[in-house]
Amino acid sequence: MSAAQNNSYDVVIVGAGVSGALIAKQLGLAGKKVLILESGAGLPSNNNDFVQRFYQALAKVPEIPYTPDLFNPPGSFNLADPSKLNAARPTVLTLDHDNWKDPNQSYMIQSGPLAFGSTYERVAGGTMRHWLGTSLRFVPNDFKMQSQYHQLVDWPISYNDLEPWYGNAESEIGVSANVADQAYLGIKFPPGYKYPMKPIPASLVDDAVIKGVTGTSFQGTPLVVSNTPAGRNSQPYQSRRVCAGNTNCIPICPIQAKYDPSVTLEQALNTGNVTIWPQTVACDVVVDGNGRVSQIKYLQYQTPGGDGLKPVSGSVTAKVFVIAAHAIETPRLLLMSTNQGRTPNGVANLSGQVGKNLMDHPLYLAWALMPNPVFGYRGPLATSGIESTRDGSFRSQRAAFRIEIGNEGWNFPINDPYTTTTDFINGLNESHLNPNGTGQPQALFGPDLVKALNSNLRKQFRLGFLVEQSPDSTNTVTLADEKDNLGLRRPKITYNLSPYTRAGLGAAVEAADQIFDQLKAQQFTQPPKANDPSALEVPVKGKPKLIKFFGSGHIVGTYCMGTKKENSVVNSEQRSWDHSNLFLVGSGVFPTVATGNPTLTIAALALWAAQTIKKDLS
Amino acid sequence: MSNTPMDLFVGLSAVLTGIDKGKLAPPLDPINIKQTYFDYAQKQKPADFQQLLDIYNKNQTLPPAQIGNIILNQSGDAIRYLARSVMLMWYLGSWYDPATLQKYNSKNPPSGSPPAVAVISSEAYTQGWVWSVAQAHPMGYSNFTFGYWSQQPPSLEDFIGGGS
Repeated sequence: MSAAQNNSYDVVIVGAGVSGALIAKQLGLAGKKVLILESGAGLPSNNNDFVQRFYQALAKVPEIPYTPDLFNPPGSFNLADPSKLNAARPTVLTLDHDNWKDPNQSYMIQSGPLAFGSTYERVAGGTMRHWLGTSLRFVPNDFKMQSQYHQLVDWPISYNDLEPWYGNAESEIGVSANVADQAYLGIKFPPGYKYPMKPIPASLVDDAVIKGVTGTSFQGTPLVVSNTPAGRNSQPYQSRRVCAGNTNCIPICPIQAKYDPSVTLEQALNTGNVTIWPQTVACDVVVDGNGRVSQIKYLQYQTPGGDGLKPVSGSVTAKVFVIAAHAIETPRLLLMSTNQGRTPNGVANLSGQVGKNLMDHPLYLAWALMPNPVFGYRGPLATSGIESTRDGSFRSQRAAFRIEIGNEGWNFPINDPYTTTTDFINGLNESHLNPNGTGQPQALFGPDLVKALNSNLRKQFRLGFLVEQSPDSTNTVTLADEKDNLGLRRPKITYNLSPYTRAGLGAAVEAADQIFDQLKAQQFTQPPKANDPSALEVPVKGKPKLIKFFGSGHIVGTYCMGTKKENSVVNSEQRSWDHSNLFLVGSGVFPTVATGNPTLTIAALALWAAQTIKKDLS
Repeated sequence: MSNTPMDLFVGLSAVLTGIDKGKLAPPLDPINIKQTYFDYAQKQKPADFQQLLDIYNKNQTLPPAQIGNIILNQSGDAIRYLARSVMLMWYLGSWYDPATLQKYNSKNPPSGSPPAVAVISSEAYTQGWVWSVAQAHPMGYSNFTFGYWSQQPPSLEDFIGGGS
């Protein structure tokens, strides 16, 4: 390896996800020279290859459209060995009891006791390539859990501080919603504020839930269904098409009616001031004698890996550095950067907090058949949710949650329509629909097959309960002994859920049971299988119950913002307490995971950081 | 009544799937998925596939329920499970190996659902009939327009034809 390049920029950004893209665009518009180091593939000319990879894949998991290919060789059933990839990433395909701790299959080295179920991408556009589009604002009390409920921690900023940036983020992303639907639980908007686009219409599934729960309450909290603000076009916006309801927001919208950060990356490149280096892995953040970051070293590769080719090494200098590599790769890079022993615990880590407080929204999934057809498998994956359960005095006792109403039948719970179809054709009963009750499974054909599938599939629906996980310093990202193909240590994850979080999951189980009763829906939620690393006991009506939880893809914490340098990694500007020209952005700065999907808040904070950086440079 | 191998394949596929023959093989058929499926199934199990066509050819004047019963219940395991593979191919666009389907029907079956071997092609995925039977569309491939999900879908007959 040899030093190939030494380039100087105003700003170097690590990561071409939503935060990196938004900051690059703002700085590029201001005439600043920006370089983005992207560890994975760069921007393709269009998304066709991604869509084709999705169509042709048997395992249509969130990661499947993107690169590097999950399987080696592509199309096989062999998961690619992460030690032979230059920019490997996790996949939900390594969450089974027999592979979640296998370092030859799982990129993240999971040390338990529970499996961390969320994954992320290393590709231009980042993990938001496969976001759902949910663009909720956090509720004001999400920012002050300690002072309001004596639980968790307060953020160093308030809803009011962030409010203008929420508006800017909604404009950049292109959010479809209306203010009247979103002004709940203390969420306020400036007078006259309008979302960029009208709301996405509710589905027939939503209508049935609205009819069943409106006017009722759960444990004293009203159940109110709200239209979900969506980063999907309800009108032509940013030269992109209107949503056609492909029911595929995750893993990929085939017509790009859903925003993804490639939109902003293109705009950033069009300023003429932004450059992206793909396949360039930042591996060392170098700090000078004055405590300022002076350069970032990188390894640049040509192929996905495993072919013996050596990467090219180099370094880049800048006035300001931004690490926007999401909440696992960012602490990994910081911890790797020991500066020949001058920062033995990693860069930006005098507090010892880098990598701690890893969070997610553990998701409880419950599914049922409606008494009447609701015609799932149509429309965006989710168009409404019950948001009224996100705040209340109960938060002093147990975690809050929001309830997402799914429009994709039982696709998430049991991989339908595949499971039910193979059941009725091959005489099996994995779906518990063949028969629904006692008796032997039937193998059907002709009109009987059509009737059985039609009558079941059109009544399927599911609810997803996204529970606020408490920040715990024992949930960590550290460096594993296992390495990737570049010789860099891979992330090691230690993960568990606290009694507070488990109590929230238990309440979610009770809420699901109640809502299904109110809807007169027949519940089919199944207990976890033996040895499932995502199974845990939660209290339900005072008794322990074994349930399975899923990751929501909401990876949060690990370099939290705070008011003191002793117990946080960045200040309220997202600036490292230890290095004044280093900004750490993305959901890693969240002190709590809060009760909304994180993307809009990530975007709002990124736009705020961009303004601060502009001021620094002026 | 025409008896070309493709005619026989489409005829028996209609009997097994419950989807109208005119929908499986429309007069104007630019995608021509029937040819893809015919070739794929024939390549997997040439002798059994020919026998399946022959059985249908011999019985095609019978009522569909009787034809299906002969194929699935009176012609042996090789034909039964190949017929189920053909049905799954039309419904899901994927190939399920007949031997695997049989294994999942055994006295000590593996756990879970039988895994498919492959998605036959992108077109096969987007032409899967299960989505139409659900009065929906393949996930990731919609020909509908904005807001359709807030309205009742067209009738089942509109999706799969009047023959079922």
